[in-house]
Amino acid sequence: MSFAERMLRIDRRIIFLVIGLCTLLPLLYPVGLPIRISSEVRGVYDYIDTLPEGSVFLLSLDFDPASKPELYPQAISILRHAFRKNLRVIAMTLWVSGTGLADQIVSQTALEAGKENGKDYVFLGWSPGGSAVILNMGQDLYNAFPADYGNKPTKSLPVLAGVQNLRDVTYAVSLGAGNPGVEAWYVFGKDKYKFELGGGCTGVMAPGLYPLLRSGQINGLIGGLRGAAEYETLIDQKGKAVAGMDAQSTTHMAIIVLVAICNMFYFTMRRQLRRQGQIGS
Amino acid sequence: MDLPFEVILGGWIATGLTLFILSFLYEDNPLFKLAEHLYVGVSLGYTIVKTYDTVVMTLILRPILDKGEWSLLIPVCIGALMLTRYVPKAAWLSRYAFAFIVGVGAGLAIPRTISSFILKQIEDTVRPLLAITPDGGVTFTYSLLDPASHLNGIIILVGVVSVLFYFFFSVEHAGPGKMIARAGIVFLMISFGAAFGYTVMARMSLLIGRLTDLIEFSDASYGRPTLWLFLLTVATLIVLTRRGSTHPPKQ
Repeated sequence: MSFAERMLRIDRRIIFLVIGLCTLLPLLYPVGLPIRISSEVRGVYDYIDTLPEGSVFLLSLDFDPASKPELYPQAISILRHAFRKNLRVIAMTLWVSGTGLADQIVSQTALEAGKENGKDYVFLGWSPGGSAVILNMGQDLYNAFPADYGNKPTKSLPVLAGVQNLRDVTYAVSLGAGNPGVEAWYVFGKDKYKFELGGGCTGVMAPGLYPLLRSGQINGLIGGLRGAAEYETLIDQKGKAVAGMDAQSTTHMAIIVLVAICNMFYFTMRRQLRRQGQIGS
Repeated sequence: MDLPFEVILGGWIATGLTLFILSFLYEDNPLFKLAEHLYVGVSLGYTIVKTYDTVVMTLILRPILDKGEWSLLIPVCIGALMLTRYVPKAAWLSRYAFAFIVGVGAGLAIPRTISSFILKQIEDTVRPLLAITPDGGVTFTYSLLDPASHLNGIIILVGVVSVLFYFFFSVEHAGPGKMIARAGIVFLMISFGAAFGYTVMARMSLLIGRLTDLIEFSDASYGRPTLWLFLLTVATLIVLTRRGSTHPPKQ
């Protein structure tokens, strides 16, 4: 058996180990590779940054713990930015399995910013219906969410003063890991009730959302952990996403090298077999 | 700083389940099965409890009992018709509920989807390939990095036309048609490559997330669960391998 053949039949667990080490070592010993800010992430940041104090900002945390590594840092960064700008934050989720995580994210960030529940922000929780909840909120927010996550009647909350439906929202961002998510917020929300919309999503979903970005249907897109790291850099409050960027770059490099080596071995073996006359040209 | 007991316990459970799931990379084993079944059970249980609390208690019972909103019984009755599926003789009643859901769903989704994804995207695809300046001249922007440049507009036009032609099977892909179809394949491959690259990035992000937590839980304030549970997992895998009690996944 030739060297190329042996390498192509290598135990896959060795490859897992290599990828594992390439991820673990940069996390333990970060080098701080530079992070370039993309225009799509800047779109969300700039819009929030220019909102006047007291504007109504809606953040829909449409994900569950399975997408936490990518969307949790995005949510934390956006909330920190919104609280820093003294916006009135309305948080909610369209994913029942993400309710607890969303509550934890909002409460933790609000506590850190010294914001008061009901006055500066509200977490509405989850309401059944998926995309239909957006339509319901577009007609009457209090009908979709009669009470917040802590069972306080939403009509009595100072943070919602003057807010009757989605037309009263200045800016909305959906951090989505699937459906319902960013697309649903565009189709049933922005397109009908005419508020500005930004998006955040997992890396898997990002290519599918670029057409919405290009056509101006969303004004910015935060894609995956990379997008979260860019947002953390923009608000100058580095967290888990920036910490993970060295590992991300290293693993990508390792994968590129592995793909190149595998192809090299594959073509070497193919040439050997052709010389031996075992396969046709 | 002493951490609360529930935080430490949560750290131990999260670490253990992460390591049990990752142990599948070595081979299928009972620890992985335990974590997998716990994941399914806990997430389902959580969903049922949250749904019951929000739907039955908050949105149905409280408004009816506290505010006398009896009109809510109409959607409750329509929803209850779904349960007739379990009674064969009355199963036909569930069709009314399904008809209602399909009708409302289609009515809401079709016009909005056509407007958002078809009309808006066509509008964006058909862009001017040149720009006329106020003095009557013509400009053409070349930047590949600017999504709105005219060069990118031409690339998108060629891509859309060639991919659509590739999926047009009524004409044989021969001669000039073959060239257009081949161009369509190239655009499709680039698209698949970009999607796969993003997928790899997303999967690596998940690994980074778990490893970040494992590093955090290796701290002495948690009692170093990462270290102890890693040793426990490795020891268990060695014992299981030696006993030959691990089985390949059932087909």
